[in-house]
Amino acid sequence: MIEINNVSKSFTSRTGGSLLKRAPKQIVHAVQGVTLKAPSGRITGLLGANGAGKTTTLRMLGGLFQPDTGSITVDGIPVATHAREALAQMGILGDAHGLYPRLSARENIIYFGRLQGMEADAANARAEHLARLLDMGSILDRRAEGFSQGERMKTALARALVHDPANIVLDEPTNGLDVLATRSLRAALRHLRSAEGGSKCIVFSTHIMQEVELLCEHVVIVAKGRSVAEGTVEELLAMAGMAGQTGRFEDAFVKLAFNTEGVAA
Amino acid sequence: MNSTALMRNVGIVLAKEVIDALRDRRTLLRLLVPAVLMGPLLLLALSSLISSLEDRAEKREVLVAGIEHAPTLRNYLERQTFTVKPAPADYEARLRATTLLEPVMVIGEDFEAELLHGEQPTVAIVSDSANQRAAGGVGSLQRLLSGFNRERAALNLALRGVSTELLNPVDVEERDLASVQARAARITGIIPMFIIMAVLYGALTAALDSTAGERERGSLEPLLMNPVQQIALVLGKWGAVAALGLAVGLLSCLSFIPAQWLLKSDSLQAMFQFGAHEVLAFMLLQLPLAAGLGAVLMALAIRSKTFKEAQAGSALVITVVALAPMVSLLNPSGDAPWYLWVPGLAQNTLMMWVLKGETLTAAQVLPSVLVGAGLTVVCLAYVARSMRAAVSR
Repeated sequence: MIEINNVSKSFTSRTGGSLLKRAPKQIVHAVQGVTLKAPSGRITGLLGANGAGKTTTLRMLGGLFQPDTGSITVDGIPVATHAREALAQMGILGDAHGLYPRLSARENIIYFGRLQGMEADAANARAEHLARLLDMGSILDRRAEGFSQGERMKTALARALVHDPANIVLDEPTNGLDVLATRSLRAALRHLRSAEGGSKCIVFSTHIMQEVELLCEHVVIVAKGRSVAEGTVEELLAMAGMAGQTGRFEDAFVKLAFNTEGVAA
Repeated sequence: MNSTALMRNVGIVLAKEVIDALRDRRTLLRLLVPAVLMGPLLLLALSSLISSLEDRAEKREVLVAGIEHAPTLRNYLERQTFTVKPAPADYEARLRATTLLEPVMVIGEDFEAELLHGEQPTVAIVSDSANQRAAGGVGSLQRLLSGFNRERAALNLALRGVSTELLNPVDVEERDLASVQARAARITGIIPMFIIMAVLYGALTAALDSTAGERERGSLEPLLMNPVQQIALVLGKWGAVAALGLAVGLLSCLSFIPAQWLLKSDSLQAMFQFGAHEVLAFMLLQLPLAAGLGAVLMALAIRSKTFKEAQAGSALVITVVALAPMVSLLNPSGDAPWYLWVPGLAQNTLMMWVLKGETLTAAQVLPSVLVGAGLTVVCLAYVARSMRAAVSR
């Protein structure tokens, strides 16, 4: 159970500028009011265009920095004050998910398992279990330096799930994956959400409509740092005045997110 | 979380970082060549130079042009057990071209007659100051000729019934206080510099890889999203950095042991004592350096977005510390007390003392330990504070 309650975050940035002239300070409002409630046993989608504030929101969820306003709790534990306890309840596959190239997939997974407080044996058993679930047995003992995009993503996902967290947070996990890899990732996520998989709470951020339609029971649309609409895919279609018109979800998203008429490109 | 959990996490991070660094074979090999081979090779080159100088001293030969004009001088030289050899005709050209490596004594045609009449004949010692080997032999020729002068003067005075002691109003006696090891330390003084550099290079790659490198790969962010204290991550990484610095330093130290067996000069070999005791002392002296500089390098690198940026940032530290020993080489007024407070320079000074066979006191070692510990604490606190800020930028 993840609850993000009206969080906001702004950064000061200094970019542009030349060799002699410093760029003026700019305040960037990355997030200004995102609310999301993700119960267990459901895949909640966080849908938004590039730069809408999805990654910043999820980084605040991961405790990398504090929100300026608002609050975040994971299974009732406030992230702001009890970051380590909250992190122990979450498996996060963030925007940056680099592996250690000189360690094998297994060693990468076990390292994070150990840091999550697991014993080496337990972490190893878990790595093998996840390798079966994510169909990555053949790369388990290979060093990560030669991995393909899909293999890297699977390893990073297994690393995030090593401590069997009740809450799973994925930031654009299908980026750069081919059709087969995307399909097997979808199957794995559906399994994790189901009762046999442990009825996990899954938060899934993406900018790809198709992923949301295929996977998410509940969608939160984020635009310009705000959550602007939420509901199931059908409810969102209805809100945009396109009830029942499956296949026009993209137009519905553009209308809801940018408050303009969606014109099929 | 209690301190047992903290230590457990430090251990996990440290073990991972050490394994990660040791698997980077290509970087390690490239690092070991300068760290382990350069010092011994330079030492061997120096020793062969010294042994050739010793050979010349043992040969006791003098190159003289025109010795046939000076039978008296020839007699003197031969009494000093020197062999007189005629100089080659083109000695000037060969000295300039550095093919002739000894100075030449040149005697004029009227030497003998002028000597008899007390007219001060001129003897030239021809050398080339750009030809270092030849220039190095000028001193012994000068000593030979002044010996000849003294003998002639003493004979002349004795004939006139004057005491020869008038010639030497002061009796000069030389006493060399340097111990055998202190004399050798003039040659072996390069060793501490190489060991300091080895420690630096060993720590450098690990420090950059575990901070800026981790950030560049995008693995720092997931690492920070584990329920582990920042300070455990920092301590584990720093422990690995310091350990690798020390390990490369130790290899560099050990490489001098076989090097001393190969020394060509017997006298140098006899003087150069480099055994287990010296290695142990050297490594203990490196501890504060490896700890302090490891922390400094990490602190510099954590703010850099890429490995490249971090390398540029650390270049200054590396240069300053590696060149610090030069200060003591270039300063003619001897070791100053502040040397012991400067990282790099302090280790160099202390290691030189060890090589000279002196016993170090706590007061001598303490400043470098304090500086190392201070740097470590300040820089690690900074790294721990900056880690989160680093990924969120």
